Amino acid sequence: MKNYKMDPRPKLVIILVLSTSALIYDDIFILSIILLVSFLVAILIKSNLTAVIFKLKKIIILMAAIAITQSLFIKTGNPIIKLGIITVVTDYGIIRSLEFILRISIIIVSAAILTTSTSREIVQGLIQWNCPYEIAFMVSTAIRFLPVFKEEMSDMVIAIQLRGIDLKKVKLSEKIKVYKYILLPIATNSILKARDLSSSMEMRAFRAYPTRTSYMVLKMQKFDYMIIVLSISTLLLLLIMNYR
Amino acid sequence: MDNNIEINNITYKYHKGRTVYEDFSLQIKNEESTVITGKNGCGKTTLTKLIMGILKPQSGDIKIFGHNTKNLTLGQTGEMIGYVFQYPERQLFATSVMEELTFPLVFKGYAKDVAKERADKMIETFQLEKVRDSYPFFLSYGEKRRLAIASVLMNNPKYIILDEPTASLDSERIEILSDIIDKLKDNKIGILIISHNEKFVKRHGDRIINIEGGLILQDEKL
Repeated sequence: MKNYKMDPRPKLVIILVLSTSALIYDDIFILSIILLVSFLVAILIKSNLTAVIFKLKKIIILMAAIAITQSLFIKTGNPIIKLGIITVVTDYGIIRSLEFILRISIIIVSAAILTTSTSREIVQGLIQWNCPYEIAFMVSTAIRFLPVFKEEMSDMVIAIQLRGIDLKKVKLSEKIKVYKYILLPIATNSILKARDLSSSMEMRAFRAYPTRTSYMVLKMQKFDYMIIVLSISTLLLLLIMNYR
Repeated sequence: MDNNIEINNITYKYHKGRTVYEDFSLQIKNEESTVITGKNGCGKTTLTKLIMGILKPQSGDIKIFGHNTKNLTLGQTGEMIGYVFQYPERQLFATSVMEELTFPLVFKGYAKDVAKERADKMIETFQLEKVRDSYPFFLSYGEKRRLAIASVLMNNPKYIILDEPTASLDSERIEILSDIIDKLKDNKIGILIISHNEKFVKRHGDRIINIEGGLILQDEKL
């Protein structure tokens, strides 16, 4: 157990179970328990939880904005805030918003579980599960380019500010236009990168042979199988309990 | 002193722990054209990013024209110093050369006519007439570089920083760039250049600073 390193496949199963159970339940108490379990699993797997909490902090305003908007459009339940005859917020609306926040948090925390494996390991796990190589390669490429896009985005945001545009002083309506200017080159760059990537893949004879050999071969241990069985059993139990 | 860039006893470490500068100080005069040289990875670009406030030193102060960069937003720094990245495509945003030059001014509330008039002058100065309606992404490298310089000059900065301006340019394009730099000097715009191109360094440097391992190895006035 001391030298045990979890295979990426049980991690994928855990994520599947956590995110599916987050979707099937719409009870704040149960969702809170699922979030707590996600945190516990993330801690046990030694995920970088600080980075996850930092990420959650970054998008908390966005999550709150979506939650508030959602609560404004739900009219069922007992009114809490009323403007004349118009019901602004109901208790049911608030509950639904909280459920939304909990679900997103569960997905983010469970995604952190996967970050303990490299993208290469995850792809190899998918391939050994007989996932078509093309799809696994697409997943790996997407993961591989995420930091590149992140860096590009941050460079672009810096560069546009250095042109004398103070993002803090720009009105919200104008800010959308500023982001249009930032996103346009990123989109163009992605297309150009994809074109270059496909050319270099062709040149390196991608899919020239029907079968492929991998340098990396993953081997699951007993404990990995136990985790998979336990996770799937839990999910089945939850599904049966929910639909009974 | 308000016409200088002052770097006072700064320490800067990367997140991964490597120290780039420790107790580093430098004064750069606006009226001088300064060139920074040094091996790859010696911290030249880091130094310019620190001056611009893109990176923040862990200790020490950087003052540009009397203002501490700690108290300036990137927008305010960009108004005073134009920064041209090593890869110009990272600072091109619009769908045409004309729009590229005018959109920041329009955001800042300038009348479109004023912005267009200023852009027309830039297009002429930087020989971009033939591509004024082209998509900046599909310009040649030399044109992209000229457009990047023109767009930072739209703010009328007092100073301009060029990071590796000769990279990927042939001798003819370097000559065009050199003429532009001469024009900037004539217009009393201070310049800081990072370059490895010896001929270019000698032509434009009033002061040449060689950096290695976070230290000034040589500081020569020509």
